[in-house]
Formats: sequence, C-alpha cells, structure tokens
Amino acid sequence: MTAVLTASKLSKTFNGRTVLREFEITIEPGEIHALLGQNGSGKSTLIKALAGYHVPDEGAIIQVGGRDLEPGSPASAFQLGCRFVHQDLALVHTMSVQDNLFLTSGFPTRFGGVSRKAARRAAVRALSVVGLDLDPDEQVAALRPAQRTGVAVARALLGHDGELPAVVVLDEPTATLPTHEVHALLATLRSTAASGVGILYVTHHLDEVRGFAGQVTVLRNGSRIGCWDVNEISSADLVRRLVGKQLADELHTAQESPRPGASTEGAAILTVSGLRAARLSELSLQVRPGEIVGIYGLTGSGREDALTAIYGSVRREAGRVRVGSQELPAGRPDAAIKAGVGYLPPDRKTLGAVMDLSARHNLTLPDVRPFWHRGILHRKPEAAEVNTWFDRMRVEPRDGAEAPLSTFSGGNQQKILLAKWLRLAPRVLLLDEPSQGVDIGAKLEVHRQIAAAARGGAAVVVCSSEVEELVALCGRVLVMRNGHVSDDLAGSRVNVTDINLSFHGDQRERAGGRHQ
Amino acid sequence: MSVSMSKKRLNLGLDRFSGVYLGILFIIVFSLLSSQFFNMATFHVIASTQSTAGIIAIALLVPMVCEQFDLSVGANANLTGMLAVILQVNEHWSALAAVLAAIGVGFAVGMVNGFIVVALRVSSFIATLGVSSVLGAVTIIFTSNITPAAPTSSGWTNLTQIQVGGFQVVFVYLIALALLTWWLLEFTPAGRYLYAIGGNKEAARLAGVRVNRWSFLALALAGGVSGFAGILYTSLTGPSFTFGAALLLPGFAAVFLGATQITPGRFNVWGTLIAIFVLAVGVQGLELLSGATWLSPMFNGVALIAAVALAVTRGTRRRKATRQASVSQLADDGGPPPPSPGRPLGEESRRQEENAVAGQAPGGGTIASE
Repeated sequence: MTAVLTASKLSKTFNGRTVLREFEITIEPGEIHALLGQNGSGKSTLIKALAGYHVPDEGAIIQVGGRDLEPGSPASAFQLGCRFVHQDLALVHTMSVQDNLFLTSGFPTRFGGVSRKAARRAAVRALSVVGLDLDPDEQVAALRPAQRTGVAVARALLGHDGELPAVVVLDEPTATLPTHEVHALLATLRSTAASGVGILYVTHHLDEVRGFAGQVTVLRNGSRIGCWDVNEISSADLVRRLVGKQLADELHTAQESPRPGASTEGAAILTVSGLRAARLSELSLQVRPGEIVGIYGLTGSGREDALTAIYGSVRREAGRVRVGSQELPAGRPDAAIKAGVGYLPPDRKTLGAVMDLSARHNLTLPDVRPFWHRGILHRKPEAAEVNTWFDRMRVEPRDGAEAPLSTFSGGNQQKILLAKWLRLAPRVLLLDEPSQGVDIGAKLEVHRQIAAAARGGAAVVVCSSEVEELVALCGRVLVMRNGHVSDDLAGSRVNVTDINLSFHGDQRERAGGRHQ
Repeated sequence: MSVSMSKKRLNLGLDRFSGVYLGILFIIVFSLLSSQFFNMATFHVIASTQSTAGIIAIALLVPMVCEQFDLSVGANANLTGMLAVILQVNEHWSALAAVLAAIGVGFAVGMVNGFIVVALRVSSFIATLGVSSVLGAVTIIFTSNITPAAPTSSGWTNLTQIQVGGFQVVFVYLIALALLTWWLLEFTPAGRYLYAIGGNKEAARLAGVRVNRWSFLALALAGGVSGFAGILYTSLTGPSFTFGAALLLPGFAAVFLGATQITPGRFNVWGTLIAIFVLAVGVQGLELLSGATWLSPMFNGVALIAAVALAVTRGTRRRKATRQASVSQLADDGGPPPPSPGRPLGEESRRQEENAVAGQAPGGGTIASE
C-alpha cells in the first residue's frame, strides 16, 4: 500500500535560525499517527509547511499518496488530498452546519443556484462519515465544542467528487474541549481512520496518544527525536524524550541563590476560596508575603482566567478573594488597586498598555495623585520619578520617557509596565505571562525585579505557559487542567521534569477516568 | 533605538504648526487679492461668528478624546438657544434665569447621552444620532414650530454684544473656555484618564481607570458646553431652527484637523481653535473674492476628509516604522508577539510570525507559537 503521507529531509530556517531540522515521517492509510511536542518544538512550523503556508528549505521531500507536494502551495496540498483542522476551526458560527460544510469545497448547484436538496443529502452523508448525528440546518453557534470540531473534521473530509482525502492533519483539536467531549471527538476520528484516511494528530496530551494513536513521533527543539509504536514505549519514557534534559541554563546561572519565593513566614495575605469564572472551575489558594506561587497550564485549563478572576476584572460566578482583611469585589480593578493589588496583563498591545501614550503616562496611570498639587499635575516631579524607575529597571533609551510606549522594544515595554505596578508597592502582585515577547536580557531583569519585590514582602502569583520561567522564580507551582488545580508542587518538586510529568498526568489514573 | 525620537524632533515647526503657517498664507494672499480683506472689521467678524463654532468644537473635543462621538451637540445647542428665548418671551423669565435653565437642560441632555452610552451600552455614534433627532422634535414641540421674537432685554443682548478690547465678548468666552479645557485635558488626572480611555479602553480599565464614570462625565460636559454655545448664538444672531445642524460638521472638521496640530496624532484644544480660525479665514477670504455661498460647507467637508485621511496614513506609517524598528532590533529583542491562531494568515502576519519565531529564545514562547 502506498503511504498516504511521507516526508523526509523537511527543514525550515527563519532568518538564520533553524526551527525544523530534517524531519521525516511516514503515515499509512488508516493509521493514526500522533505528533508530540512542546511549545517551541517546531510543531506549528511543520504543519504550516505541509499546508503550504511556509516554504520548506531546499531538499525537502513531501509526498501525499505517492505524489510530490508542491512546496508553498496550499492548493497543491488540497488537490493531493491533504486536509487540515487547525486550532482555529474557521467555522462561521452564525451559519448553519450545512453552509459551513460547503464553504471550502463549493455547494452542489443547479442552474447556478444552490441545490438545497442535493446539499442536504451531501451534508448528511458527510456528517455520517464522522459519526455525527446532527441536523445540518442547525447553527454552528448552538453546537457543543466537540460537535464543532466534528463539523470541522467532516468538512475536511469532503473531497472533490465524493472521494475521501488521503490524510487529515489535526493541530491540537482538543485544546479547548472538556474531557467528555475529547472522548467523543476521538471516537469520530477512529471512524474516520477506519475508512482508510490517514490521521496526523498533533497534541500535548499524553493520554490522547495511548488508547487512540498507533504510532507516535516526538519532536523537540526542531528535531525528530524518534518514532515508536505506542504500545512499545512507556509514558515516563515518552515524557523524558519530550522534555529532554534541558535546564533553564541562562536563567539559572543568572539567578542568585537561594531560590526566590520560597520563604514562607507569617499568615497568608492573599486568600482565594472557591473561585469560579469563565473556564476556571475552581481555585482556592493562599499566598504569604514573600512567596512566589506559579500557575501552569495550557489553553483551556483555566489558567488564563485565574488572575483576572483574582484581580476582579472579570465577573466571578462564585468564590471570594481577600487581601489581608479586605474583600476584593468583582468588576472593580480600581478597588483592587486601592487594596494593594497589581495586575500585569498577558497581552501588552491589547490589554497591558496604552501604546499611543508616552512611557511616562503609562507608568504613572494607576496613581497620579502624588503629582497633583494646587490644582495642576506637576510634570517635573513626575518626570523625576519616571526616570528613577527607568534607571532601576535599566530601560533603554534611558531618556525616552516622553516617547510613545509603542516605540520601545518588547522587553523595555514590559519593564516599564512592571515598573508601573512596582511603583505602587503592592501587597499582592499578579503577573500574567511576564516574559511574553521579551528578549533574554529583559527577561532576566524582569525576573530579578519580581524576586526583589517578593523579598520586599509582596505576595506574587505568576501565571505562565513556560515551565522554565516558573522553575526559575517560584517556590510553589500549581498545575491546572480542565479548570481545576490538578497538582500542587513545592520545594524540590519544582523542576522541569516533575512539572511536566505531573502535567501529562499519571497514565493509569487518566485511563481509568476516561473509560467511565 | 532612537529612530522615531529623532524624527519627531526634526519637524518642530512645520509639522506641528502647519495650520498657523497656512493661516498666515491665506491672510497674505487674500490681502493682496482684495483690498477689503485686511482690516480689523473682517477679523472681528470672523472672531465673533466663529466663536460659537469654536465652543461647539470644544464641546465635541472632550468626549472625542475618550473616543465618544457626540453628534447631538448641534441639536442640543439649538434646543437650549430656543428654550432660553421662549422662557423669556413667552414665560417672562429674566435673562439670567432663562440662561441658567437652558444650560441646565444642556447638561441634562449630555447626561442622557451618557446614560445611553454607559448604562445601555449603545455606541455613542448611534446614541447621540438618535438623541439629536429627538431633540429636534422636542424643539418643535415647545416652540409650536413658530420662530419666537428675539428678547429685547439688555441682560440678554449684553451677554454677547459687549465689546472687550474691540472684540465681542463671545470671543473672550471662547478663549476662557479653551483655557479651562486645556487645563482639564493637560493638567488634571481626569485628562490623563480621558486620553488613556481613548487610547485603549480595556488597558485603561485594567489600570484602575473608572472608564464608565469618565465617559459619562465627558458626555455630560459636552452637553453643558453645547447648551452654552446655543445661548450665545441665539443672543448674538437671533433665534433660528437651523443653526445647530450647520455647526456640527465644521465642529468635527475642526476637532480632527486640530489633531494634526501642536500634538500631531492627538486631539487637543489649541489645534482645534487654530483649525476653526484658519478654515474661517479661508472661507471668508474666498467669499469676499467670489461671492459664492457654498464655500463654507465645501471647505469644511473637504477639510474633515483630508484631516482623517492624513491621520490614517500617519498612523499606518508610524506602525510600519515601529514594526521595522522592532524587527531590526531582533538581535536583542524577542520581536513582536506571534499572531494568535485566530488571526487571518495574510502576508503581513506571516512575515511578522517569521520574525517572531526567528527572534525568540529557544524553549520560549506562548501557546500561540509552536
């Protein structure tokens, strides 16, 4: 049998940096092949190279069903029978299932108009291929997340002239699905594979590999570490290959010992009980002054909503947050600030800063009262304070406080935004992805400042998708899955391997829960 | 590093005061072309007729800073002006009482706008558009659609027709109001908050700015100032059903053109005044020369389009420069954050992503990257 997908010597280099190194893979018809890799491993680049979005380096050989794929051409991939279900499903929520299905492949027509009967028949057929029992006229917005993913898969399977495609590539399709929906989707994919379609399934989750995939390839730092039959390798081995012996070398050598954020003296200053909001199902937490607690988890785990729920910038469905003896109300960031809480949002451009305003205005925005005297805001004392912070955080250019924040590099922007909160001497500091889009030098500075703030008595909570960062900073790390805290690691257990092992979960527990 | 910094320092004169230079150019040209132009009478006429327009522009400016469009300023001014007249002529109120009541009504209208925008979450554009239509109807109702006679009390006419240093006192009101607004926007925390809200509402909210409160107050203030403008106009020129509508577009043109002056890219008071007067000088000069009556609406319409188009191209150029600057700093920068999965995969974002990926430290990155 001809393999549905083969690739060899597939490399991709951006501006001198090799992101994917001589990747190779073979997928047979009906095979479910899992691709495991962390952030930065090259997974996304690989998929985009297959989809024709990136042009791979010279010498790459990609064949679909024995025929060569034209590099950089999405049309070629489509024609050869390669279909993709990306993380963004690209469904139009306000349209019906049927309309979405035919969006890419075209509607059955009669005399130029859409033939409703033929379209409905084709839609029902397409949905049954994936084992979905849905009314094609139902609006996508009304569907459950797994059903939506199923519709995206059904659409991917719509070939020209009723032919099934050769291979379907899914990029982390369960990232936003709750556990029971994952089960439904995997069943859908099993029926698809049973029809002879090859499946390349990219994921972070070990438990989706076992009991589902036949083969697994591990990708790390752009290199293919190996390919195994799923039954021939243990989960612990897989994790070790996934994570490698990488240590946060630059970060560790620069860190002063002892590890910051491990000192725990006195009563907790931040108390969170039974917090529920958006994708966060339940969070209870106590942080003492001087402690740095980390929260780790991926998209959909509830991590992204943890800090906004604590700060109070989103509506809380349940739970309470106290700073000292003060209760923090929901929906009132200004009240949180008054209570001594600082919150550094994850996305600078949309949430963290007012890019068109000067660095000075951004830095002093939460509290300009110190400069308000006899009816006007005095510029000199403000500029003096801003310059002190510029010096302290080593912001470049040092004299650029009047320039719009957008003109600073990402690392400097983040230093300025951190200074914005440190300036208020907060009792509690909530940091969401503090080194997102930040160069190594600025990242070190940011970490230094966070450690210093903790030493100064602040209770710090750091939310991050980067394990190394959490290991460098935190005395305690909470691992989140499906909206809950699944593990609480402290002391010597705060290291890259243990966090990853905890995150990917104990295999036996996972399997037991799934088969209920 | 200081690429954009040095660029900003270069064009101090021409870039920030182009309006003033243009105005001077107009004066020179028109004075040469027409002997009637360059005399104090012309300037006094311009000053007084444009003062009301200037006050309306200031009313528009404050909410515009926090990104609220107040399309009801004209109708509001019309309503309050007529109300003040009706109260004096039909109800025999004193000039002072009528003026205070009318300004109060102006504020009330502003608060209604604020309520609709903040509490009912209707966009300011739609809300104030609807309100302006309602105000027009209300004006017709309480005047029974009959233009009232102008009040004759000296209190009323002295409101605008006293001379101060040769200029009619309306001009002084305008300058005083401009100074107050300048103080508000540049020297008070409120001003900071308004600009922050206009720059990025959500970021401002997360930084503790009470967005709802300040948006509401900005719209309320706009209403009060419009009320004041309406009274001044009716005192100066007499009651009319149509003056409000005619003041709206020139006001917007001035606010947007004003954003190209003094502090380019940012709405500001003095730029707005410069724009008002430069446009007026241009129109007045051309009218004197040609006698055409369509010049004012033509000028204002073209000016508004030109001002916004200029702002858009400047914004795009600045964003491109910032992106290029950060790309060229790849050696020590992580580069712009990678696009989220939901963003369209266009040529621009692909280049952005390539640069981001190339610049990122190994093992780093967010969910959105590989």
